[in-house]
Amino acid sequence: MYRSQQLAVKYLAAAIALFGIMTVAGLMSAYYYINPDFLFGILHFNIAKILHIDTMVIWLLMGFMGAIYWFLPEEFGRELVGIRLAEILFYVFFGAVAVVAVVFIVVQYGNSNETALWFINQGRKYVEAPRWAAIGVVVVMAVFAYNVIGTAYVTRRVTGITAVLMIDLVPLLVLYLDAFPAISNMSADLFWWWWLVHLWVEATWEVLIGCIMAWTLMQLLGTSRRIVELWLYIEVALVLGTGILGLGHHYFWIGAPSYWLTIGGLFSALEPLPLLGMVVHAVYDAGTHHMKTTNRPAFYWLLAEAFGNFLGGGVWGFMITLPQVNLYAHGTQWTVSHGHFAFWGAYACGVLSVIYLVVQKLRGLDYLEGTLWKWSFAALNVGLIGMVGALLVSGFAQAFVERAIGGSTHDAFIAGQTNPWFVEGMITRFIFGLLFAAGYVALVWDLLTIGRRAPVLAAAGAAE
Amino acid sequence: MSEISLLQSALLLGLYVALAGSYGLLYTIARLQDAIILHRLSLVLYGLHGLTAIAIVAWTPLQIGWKGLIVVSSAAFLAIPPLTWRLLERTHETEVQG
Repeated sequence: MYRSQQLAVKYLAAAIALFGIMTVAGLMSAYYYINPDFLFGILHFNIAKILHIDTMVIWLLMGFMGAIYWFLPEEFGRELVGIRLAEILFYVFFGAVAVVAVVFIVVQYGNSNETALWFINQGRKYVEAPRWAAIGVVVVMAVFAYNVIGTAYVTRRVTGITAVLMIDLVPLLVLYLDAFPAISNMSADLFWWWWLVHLWVEATWEVLIGCIMAWTLMQLLGTSRRIVELWLYIEVALVLGTGILGLGHHYFWIGAPSYWLTIGGLFSALEPLPLLGMVVHAVYDAGTHHMKTTNRPAFYWLLAEAFGNFLGGGVWGFMITLPQVNLYAHGTQWTVSHGHFAFWGAYACGVLSVIYLVVQKLRGLDYLEGTLWKWSFAALNVGLIGMVGALLVSGFAQAFVERAIGGSTHDAFIAGQTNPWFVEGMITRFIFGLLFAAGYVALVWDLLTIGRRAPVLAAAGAAE
Repeated sequence: MSEISLLQSALLLGLYVALAGSYGLLYTIARLQDAIILHRLSLVLYGLHGLTAIAIVAWTPLQIGWKGLIVVSSAAFLAIPPLTWRLLERTHETEVQG
């Protein structure tokens, strides 16, 4: 095994650990809505929410990096350039994440000065990490880019997938520089902040997961490189074509010029079109292989990715993307519902698919199957769908009572928060959150133990 | 937009995309299994998608431009599954021949 693949295993293990912290912090955040006095004076809702969202970003990022470190040496046929530096930076990265989490929990907030920005919290949603840690992320990403581009340069071998990946690493790195706040005008600040949040998530991350899924399809289903690369080009072009200017739907209500209403609405409305093509592609691949594969967990997570992306991004997104509806829906639990579903479908399922693929290779199994992964798959997906359904109901209540009827006044806000539909939605969300957490525990147990059942499963696979 | 029409519009928009997805899914399964009944069912689903589009155009208070986009998108949703299928078959056939 290459050293970069050993590094990949560390990144994927760290990703799963952070997935767990994200789940716990998410459960806490959900519980605050039911019992606002929870941990009063000790740990407030905002800290739990920061932990929930920031660990979500980091576990997915580490998942992507782990997947790429796993596939790249096979792609280049050699060890990655600068692997020693990457190994050191993994510990620095993981240590930094731990320190930032401890600071968030223990220190929580500081004064409105440069010291707080540098060492406690930058105060910007989703990229709250203090400035020193944000610089650390830039360094880690720069080394990651060096590993990829440097190896391609040394081997003089650039495949279609690595070419797309290398091009994508440039905006991935450059856009993160937007994480450093310097603008006091809130509209201008939000304008650029969305470049980081939206263009990372709906552009550069889409390309990253596209490359990772291309490699996964080649290994999982034996699809030829020519085919996956052709489809990678098509799907990346379509996703970027709609996703980049889809950025405009975040500009509707931040004080940006009104032409963004048209641009944002139009390109966001086009976003479900390529997602439908992806569903057709996924079903075609599954059907032509008669649902047969040597790694069923990875295969099912791959399918879940295509459907989750369409439902979460396409259906849930389309409900709220046109400006006339978005006026009432933005910033409610409705958008939270969309966010949960889209992130799960577009990214989390894909990373879990890769992790099962890596587990199979690590344990030298010809065939990976079992029972526990099905329970985990069901609990995680049913839990997630239950959560987004409940959040949707709460969001309807907010948009209906607080926004449309109440006109977004303070009294209307209270009326929305105390509306029975909203409250019951929050309780239901928490219950399904518990189911999701149970699915996470089953997932971890399955990943740790699935190798022990290898001889039996290999025999079962051979018998089929 | 009234509070009722807000929810109606949003739900119709969600249903519109969900039915397009269901049509695409069933179309692909029908082609894979060469099942005429499934193919007809997929067309029924597309018909429901079309009815949803008509409901959006006729009853929601969306501006005329967005309604036009809904109509054009419906045409695109109709074409995407067969076009994607054709391209998939072509790329896989070329691969087998190669």
